[in-house]
Amino acid sequence: MNWDSFIYFAIASLLFWAMGAAAAYKYRNKTIPALLTVAGLLIFALFIAGLWHSLERPPLRTMGETRLWYAFFLPVAGLLTYLRWNYKWILSFTTLLAAVFIVVNITKPDIHNKALMPALQSPWFAPHVIIYMFSYAILGAATLVALYYLIREEKIGNPDRLVQMTDELVYAGTACITLGMLMGAIWAKEAWGHYWSWDPKETWAAATWLGYMVYIHYRLKKNASHKMSMIILLFAFLLLQICWYGVNYLPSAQQSIHTYS
Amino acid sequence: MRIWEHPWGYREGFIVAAGIAFSGLLLQLTVGNIQPALFASPVNSIFGALFVTGLTAVHFLLPKNRTVRWLGGVYAAVPAIAVLLLLCIILGLIPQFPHNSSNEQLPPTLFTPLGWYRMTTSWPFVLLCFYILFILGLTTLKRTGQKQSWRDIGFYLNHLGLFLALGGGLLGSADLERLTMSVNEGEIAWRATNQSGEIKELSLAIQLDTFLIEEYPPRLVIIENETGRILPATRPDSYQFEEVGKTVQIAGVTMEILDYLPHAALFRDSTFLNVVPMMMEGATTAIKVRVNNAEDNQPVEGWVSNGSYLFPHSTLQVSGNRSIAMPPQEIKRYRSYVTLYTEKGTARQAIIEVNRPLPVEDWIIYQYSYDDTKGKYADSSVFELVRDPWLKVVYTGICMLMAGALFLFVAGPKKKADEKDK
Ligand code: HEM
Repeated sequence: MNWDSFIYFAIASLLFWAMGAAAAYKYRNKTIPALLTVAGLLIFALFIAGLWHSLERPPLRTMGETRLWYAFFLPVAGLLTYLRWNYKWILSFTTLLAAVFIVVNITKPDIHNKALMPALQSPWFAPHVIIYMFSYAILGAATLVALYYLIREEKIGNPDRLVQMTDELVYAGTACITLGMLMGAIWAKEAWGHYWSWDPKETWAAATWLGYMVYIHYRLKKNASHKMSMIILLFAFLLLQICWYGVNYLPSAQQSIHTYS
Repeated sequence: MRIWEHPWGYREGFIVAAGIAFSGLLLQLTVGNIQPALFASPVNSIFGALFVTGLTAVHFLLPKNRTVRWLGGVYAAVPAIAVLLLLCIILGLIPQFPHNSSNEQLPPTLFTPLGWYRMTTSWPFVLLCFYILFILGLTTLKRTGQKQSWRDIGFYLNHLGLFLALGGGLLGSADLERLTMSVNEGEIAWRATNQSGEIKELSLAIQLDTFLIEEYPPRLVIIENETGRILPATRPDSYQFEEVGKTVQIAGVTMEILDYLPHAALFRDSTFLNVVPMMMEGATTAIKVRVNNAEDNQPVEGWVSNGSYLFPHSTLQVSGNRSIAMPPQEIKRYRSYVTLYTEKGTARQAIIEVNRPLPVEDWIIYQYSYDDTKGKYADSSVFELVRDPWLKVVYTGICMLMAGALFLFVAGPKKKADEKDK
C-alpha cells in the first residue's frame, strides 16, 4: 500500500466521520454516531498499517506522515469528548479539522522513501511520536472548545461545564506531552549522549509544556477567570504549533538536529 | 488593594519573578555569562545541600510567615512559570551559541550583553530556574502538612519529580563531560578531546577491530541534464532497487532493470563504459537499465552508478534533457566492533552503534560519527564518551514525572464533587 491509494481510504474515512457527525445531531442515542466514527477510524488505521508495512518502518518520519496520525487521532479525541460530555458539535469540528490535514496531505505530499536514518532506529521512536500526535489531537480539541467559548461567551448557558471539559482535556493532553517529552529525553540520552540539549525543537517543547503548566496551575484558584483561562489555552496551542512545524521556519532552527524531512 | 499588602496575589508574583529576572540581568551586565566550570564538583554538591537545607529551614522555622506560605502557592508559581516561559520563547527564537564561545565570537547586537545568545548559561535564566525550584520545594513541603488524600500521590510524583530532574540537571550540568575520540581500524586509543579542544588521557582504551557501514538499496532518479534537478520538480520521485527484471516508471520514464552489481568496477575507454564485478574495497554499486525511449523509439541501454572514492559516478542520458542517475545510498546503520581495555587490566569485546551506547565504568561510549571521506569504506570511527555523575538524580526525577503524568491522565482534574467532600 502506498500514498497513491491514500485518497480512497481518506474519502471513505471522511464519509464515515461526516455521517457520524451528522448522526450525533440526529439521534439521542450515542451508539450510531460512535459506530460510524469507529468505522471511519478502522479504515484509516488500515491505511496506516498498510503504509507501515510497505515502508518497512513506522510512518512517522516526514511531516506528511505525522499529519496522517494527527488526522487519525483528531476523531479519536472528538469521539472520546462526545461520549464523555455529549457535545454534539465536537464530532463535526474534529472531522472538519481532520479533513484539512487530509487535504494538505493529498495536495502537498512529501518525499516518501524507506530510508530511516540510524538515529531514528530506536524503540523510542514510535511511542514518542505517536503519543505526541495523540496529545496534539486532544489539545487541539481543547482549543476548539476554548475558541467556542470565546466566540459565544455571552450565549453559553453553562460555562462551568465547558471549562470543566477543557480542564479534563488539558489534563489528559498535558499528561501525554509530558510522557512524550520525557521519552524524547531518554531517547536523546541514548542517541546523542545527553537528555536535554536545548535544541530548538526541545526548547519549544519545553515552552509548550510550560504554557499548559500555566493553565493547569492558574485554574487551581477558584476565582480564576474563565476568559483568561481560555486565552492561556489558545496561547499554549500557538506554542504547540511552533513546536510541531513552526520551528522549521525559525532562524534559531538552522542547526537543529530535529529537522529530518 | 495595595501592592505588598498581604495577602499577596498574582501582582506580587509577577513583581518578584520579574525582579529576579532583572537582578539576573544586572549580574549578567556586570559579571557576564555563568561559567559552568566554576560550579563543578564539589561546589555543586555543596550548593545543592545548602539549597535543600535552606528550603527546609525556611519551611520549618517560618511556618506561619505569610510570604513563605505565599511562595509555596499558586500565586507565586504561575507568574514564575510564565516568566520562565517568556525566556524560553526568546531562547527558541534567537540562535544559540556554545556557552564557551567568547563575546567576540557572538554577533555584535544588544542580545550579546543581555546573554540571549547563550540563554541557558545566562544569569536571568538560571536564577529563575532556581526560583522555580525554590517554589517547587516549598510547595511540596507545605503539602506534607495537610491532610493527605490519594490525589497527593500524583502531586508528590510530579512536583518532587520535577524538583529532582530540574535540580539535578541544573547542578549536574557543571560536571557533565563530553569527549570525542577518533580511532582507526586496527588501532587503539586512550586519549580523547574535550569540547574546548584539550586532550585528556582516560583510564580506558578503545581498540577498533572493525568498522562496518550498511547501506539502503540504491535508488534511481530522473534528473534534468542542465540543472541536475530531480524530477518531477514538484514532487521528486525515485525508485528503490528491489530485483532484476522489474520494469518501473519514474518521472514519465519507463525503464527495465537489466542487471545489478553491488560491488562493481567502472572502466571508461574511449567509447564505452565497461562495468565488471569487483569484490574489493573501493567497489561501487551499478545498475544496468534499458529505456525504450519515447522520443525517437531508439532504446537506450547502459549502466548507472553512484561511484565511490575510487570510481566516478555515472549517469545514463535517455533524451535531450533527461538522464537516469543514482544518488548516494542512504546509510542504514554503522557500527564499531571494539575491544575495551580498562586500567584494572580487564579486556572485553563489544559492539557500539547509534542508539546502542555502551556503559563502561563512569563513562557511556557512543557511536558519534566516522570519517566519511571514503564513503562506505570508512575505516575510522569517532566515539563520544559522556560522563554525567548526576544522571541518576535526573533519571529518578524523570521516572517520577512519568508516573505522575500517568496519574494525571487517569485521575484528571479535581472534580467539583471532590471539593464538596472536604
Ligand atoms: C513548573 C513548576 C511547578 C510549580 C512551581 C508548581 C507549583 C504548584 C503549586 C503551588 C500548586 C498548588 C499546591 C497547593 O495548593 O497545595 C500546584 C498544584 C498542582 N500542580 Fe504544580 N507545580 C509545578 C509543576 C507541576 C507539574 C510538572 C505538574 C504535572 C505535570 C503539576 C501539576 C499540578 C497539579 C495537578 C496540581 C494540583 C494538585 C491537586 O490539588 O491535586 N505541577 N503546583
